[in-house]
Amino acid sequence: MNWAIQTLNGISMGALLFLLSSGFTLTFGLARVVNMAHGALYLLGGYLGLSMVLATKNFWLALLAGGFGIVILYYFLDRFLIRRTGENHLSQVLLTVGIAFVIADIALLIWGGDARRLPAPAFTQGPIQLAAGLYYPRYRFLLILFGVIVGVFLWIIYKKTQIGALVRAGVDDREMVSAMGININRLFALVFALAAFLAGLSGVAGGAFLTLYPGAEWEILVLALVVVIVGGLGSLGGAMVGSLVVGLIDAYGRWLLPEFSYFVIFGPMAVLLLFRPTGLFGRKN
Amino acid sequence: MATRNLILLLAGVVFALFAPQLLGAFWASLIMQILIFGVLALSVDLLLGHTGMFSLCHAAFFAVAAYTTAILQVRYGQPTILAAPAGILVGCLLSLIYGLAVRTSGVYFILVTIAMGYILWGVAVRWGSFTGGDNGIGNVPFPAIGPLKVTSLTAYYYILWILVGLGVLGYRLLIQSPFGLTLRGIRDSESRMRALGYNVGRHKYAAFVLSGCIASFAGVLYIYFNRFISPATAAFPISVEAALMVIIGGVGTILGPFIGSAVFLIMRNYVSAYMDQWMTITGLVFIATVLWAPNGFLGLLKKYRTRPQDPKHRAEAGKTG
Repeated sequence: MNWAIQTLNGISMGALLFLLSSGFTLTFGLARVVNMAHGALYLLGGYLGLSMVLATKNFWLALLAGGFGIVILYYFLDRFLIRRTGENHLSQVLLTVGIAFVIADIALLIWGGDARRLPAPAFTQGPIQLAAGLYYPRYRFLLILFGVIVGVFLWIIYKKTQIGALVRAGVDDREMVSAMGININRLFALVFALAAFLAGLSGVAGGAFLTLYPGAEWEILVLALVVVIVGGLGSLGGAMVGSLVVGLIDAYGRWLLPEFSYFVIFGPMAVLLLFRPTGLFGRKN
Repeated sequence: MATRNLILLLAGVVFALFAPQLLGAFWASLIMQILIFGVLALSVDLLLGHTGMFSLCHAAFFAVAAYTTAILQVRYGQPTILAAPAGILVGCLLSLIYGLAVRTSGVYFILVTIAMGYILWGVAVRWGSFTGGDNGIGNVPFPAIGPLKVTSLTAYYYILWILVGLGVLGYRLLIQSPFGLTLRGIRDSESRMRALGYNVGRHKYAAFVLSGCIASFAGVLYIYFNRFISPATAAFPISVEAALMVIIGGVGTILGPFIGSAVFLIMRNYVSAYMDQWMTITGLVFIATVLWAPNGFLGLLKKYRTRPQDPKHRAEAGKTG
């Protein structure tokens, strides 16, 4: 029974990681932007949701507040700061780390240094019986469903719609897409907004079971980084597979080797990189 | 020119000699931090400035060396003569493993080093029975080799100058050697170096390991200064700050990392004395450096003092972009 519980823990963590890393990987794939502030956006989204849920007692409004709050913030960050670094990854990393420091420090000032749990709505509380004798927290089970729904939704947009086709074309050859008369900047703005929305949303979703605290932004970011390293930068399918793999390894690692759980995640990543330096689905750029 | 440098050097030596007496304990302690983090920044610069690799895991080597020395001294009562080299050794061993990261390049290298840095932090936090967890390890004694004992921070101040001085001389030899030239060749054009018959991968790996060893050296210097270590020392912000110091000071120089370390640490000390939000200020410094001074302080100075009649100078100023 333990294995089943831990597997579900892994999958639900994977669902959360997918919400976060899909935005990260698409932003990179299309615009070549490495956004190290992604974890800080997650944390801030969670805090915004927390304030909203405390003010209105409505979890859905909290999800929207977290998501759209981050979209607005990211628009200005991109417009006035990140865009100015061009394609210099070194500058981007330093700049976005600086942004993450500022966001985290302001969040500390407003929401304090204690771990805060975002209250989940009543219908998600309590256990759910999945099989005879197998009880699982209802919230985490619904999170898995939510992750799958978002995943399918993104996959359909990515593979079946014209916008998705443009994004895929942009990942492959950005200049060519603009030469075809497509406004690539509008496409960028769309993907950035989606990534920021998902980051804020995952902060609200994660805040309800992982809690929100200073430092959470880097802990979740490093897991998201491993996801995109394993899956391959810029690949949506890679983010799906990577999230599941990292979520499961994280859950089993915490359970079987609690003192070395980080190491357990790193081991497979290192082996993988030895054979495929660009991850499972990544391509050389 | 030579006499001017000599006078500057002498003035520096005199200043360093009497700083603890003239400026007091606060400044002496700050100078020690500047020296230690300067060495850490120097190790980052071996990769960043000379090899063209942007590593963000150097806090791992720094911390693992400090942890090793601290654990050997405090928990196992080993003498400095054993604990200090063991610290450097373990740091070097870690860099032998982490060096595998050089198989990746570009953004992948940055991301992989961040992830690797975090693993060490995770072990330091979670392996509480061995590392002391969040409480860390304290009460590390001053270094003592046989009858020679360091008994005060002021005494260690002088030891530190000597050790850092020797370290810098060694580093100078390293970067002026054919090996250092090869690294700069790789930085400028990897494909050309490969065409010339150099084993680029092996040189990058060697540079990474050497850089990790220098960071470990800084870690051992740090533990005898701070005499306390906690997972915060292994955390990601230390790695980024070391990289920022290099960029503030100017990449590819010896003085630069120390200038960067001085600017950064003095600023932080002053800001944290007046307000709690020093992380915000640190973040703003990151942003400002990237946007307005990507070539650092030395770069800014050069920009305003470029002598047009000196083409070599101009070429150098333009290159470090």
